[in-house]
Amino acid sequence: MILRRIAAVLFLPMMLAFGSGVYLYLGTLKSKVVKTRADLPTVTKPRLVLPGTMFVVQDGRLFKLKDGGFTEIGSAGDWSQPTLTPDHTHLVAVLRSGYSSDLYLLDLDGHIVKRLTKNDSRIVDYNHWAFYPRVSPDGSTLFYSYDGPKHVTNAPGDDLSIWSMPLNGSQSQARRRTDPYWYTGGDATPIPLAGTAVLYVQHSIDPSTAVHSQIRLQSRLGDLVGKPLTSLADNCSQPALSPDGTQLAMICTGGKQTARLEVASFNGTSLGPPRILLDGGLYASPAWSPDGQALAYFAPSGAAGHFELWWLAVPVVATPTPTATATPTHSASAGGGASSIVVPSLPTTPVPVQVTQGVDLSATSPPAWY
Amino acid sequence: MRLVILTLFCLLLSGTAGVAAYFFPVVVAGVGQTGQTVVVPPSNSPGVSATPTPSAAPGAPFTVLLLGSDDDGKNKSPLTQSMILVRVDPASKHVTMESIPRDLWVPLSTGEHAKIDAAYANGGAAAAIATVQRNFHVHIDEYAWVGLTGLIKLIDLLGGVDVFVTNPVLDDAYPDDINGGFLYGYKTVAVLPGAQHLDGAHALQYVRSRHNDINGDFGRSARQQQVLLAMKVKASTLNAADLPDIVSALKGKFKTSMGLDRVRSLLGVANAFDPANVKQIVLYAGLYTSYDHGAAYGGASVIIPHWPQILAVTRENFP
Repeated sequence: MILRRIAAVLFLPMMLAFGSGVYLYLGTLKSKVVKTRADLPTVTKPRLVLPGTMFVVQDGRLFKLKDGGFTEIGSAGDWSQPTLTPDHTHLVAVLRSGYSSDLYLLDLDGHIVKRLTKNDSRIVDYNHWAFYPRVSPDGSTLFYSYDGPKHVTNAPGDDLSIWSMPLNGSQSQARRRTDPYWYTGGDATPIPLAGTAVLYVQHSIDPSTAVHSQIRLQSRLGDLVGKPLTSLADNCSQPALSPDGTQLAMICTGGKQTARLEVASFNGTSLGPPRILLDGGLYASPAWSPDGQALAYFAPSGAAGHFELWWLAVPVVATPTPTATATPTHSASAGGGASSIVVPSLPTTPVPVQVTQGVDLSATSPPAWY
Repeated sequence: MRLVILTLFCLLLSGTAGVAAYFFPVVVAGVGQTGQTVVVPPSNSPGVSATPTPSAAPGAPFTVLLLGSDDDGKNKSPLTQSMILVRVDPASKHVTMESIPRDLWVPLSTGEHAKIDAAYANGGAAAAIATVQRNFHVHIDEYAWVGLTGLIKLIDLLGGVDVFVTNPVLDDAYPDDINGGFLYGYKTVAVLPGAQHLDGAHALQYVRSRHNDINGDFGRSARQQQVLLAMKVKASTLNAADLPDIVSALKGKFKTSMGLDRVRSLLGVANAFDPANVKQIVLYAGLYTSYDHGAAYGGASVIIPHWPQILAVTRENFP
């Protein structure tokens, strides 16, 4: 009798522990997507030490990647799309707040130097968005996408146009540079070139109701629609110009839900034939290394992964030889002036290297790298 | 020997209790949210089966009507902002999706003419199924309904979705009705283009925004299909141990006629099929539909179906 009581006293905790153990064990069998949450970059160790300094964004927080380690910079807020001034002394970044977003000039530690735009309003409809800041090569002019004018006759509703304003001036001096295709979301990703020219991405719609993205060049002020550099069918966007201005990296989808990372030579007026570096993934926001020899970009690591930072050496190719026989892939229907160029073959297959692990970087905020 | 047997028995008992406790929410949900019985009114369309609609045999192709509602309290009975016919062929791993415009002007199964999004509000899932069956001449085996917050929670549970946004989605009149504010309030949203990771709230913005889309509700339909496919990619990594979290996330925000067996088999299909085997159909204005408005439609702006074209594409893809 006593033995039975002792056994009962022993068995009850054992059963409780085993039952709880089974319960907890089942919890460990959850799939990765359910139980895994992204880490902050600052608690991770990059697998590759990248040259120079890079600024990236996660969950509205700015991070600096330097000497193989991340540090968080700046004040709290919903920050995105940092970009460097040409002298590499400042950043311009987007701060979302409520129903609007504004551009700020920051120092390289993320401290606010100056608020450049004021787009918030107590009236919901009068809030504005400003995105994709870029400073001109001479450091004098800020280019960006802005959803204005609104509530004006014969003007788009909520579509982004490319605007420019003096970096040291005020928003009242801003002027609209492009006329967007209405109700497509408009124009994005300006890249100011030397002089007054600017590359940008126009979104438009064709008669079959398909929406396209196309990289265009506005070579002079007043040319509100620019000239196409890529074809509608290629659906290219997110251009990134190499530091020497001779190569353009871009993301092209061809209308699919996956993307290609491509690079084409750029002579200031037209693109050469593209080289497809990567195909079939969710590639985003390429940025050139300071020496122009490699690209950084974002892509998920596996089906269940968040967007990680990747590095890819760009194979060097011989200078394209003009010829009268070959047909370029890009610009064939775009009238971009990329006339007959032999498509160079890749000497080697580039192998991407995953730099971060377990983070969730903002894929719509291209790395700022110098 | 008796002690060993007793020990094993106790371990088996306690282990079973642990398993039962873990899956208890699934059982509760299985009773309350899955296997919903619907009695579909008799159809007057040729070739469409009568009440009740028999489910397809296991392993055979079946058609699900996906319904999404803004169950924010604006309407006593929620309208369906999203109606998508999905045909799943488990054998060939082929999936076809056809979005039905919510403003499509049709005769409802309950008698009156109205926008098709009113079918669910007027008569629940049975009326929605009957209305689609009668008008589209298609047989529906199952339905699944999800509310707005259910979708947000499900996507968050999946760890978000990865999509390629083709163009900026800006909306100055996006409903601000999710977090308990003024039901008719609105706000601005901006989803930027490019490949990106969307959490539940931002994914909802992406699939719900329509005011600045040149394709209107059709553009939104295409985005809804896109996010469904992205959810499929994430769902393919799920397993049975995730079910309690899923049903907790969807508590009260999800109903389906499918039993747990079919839900499980759907997960299996999600694991196996290739996105290349997914056919997406949106009944764009022009070929399939046209816009109209006026007194004939109660003063509303509606979408008029071009039935010969719609029935042809539906018959071809939902045999």
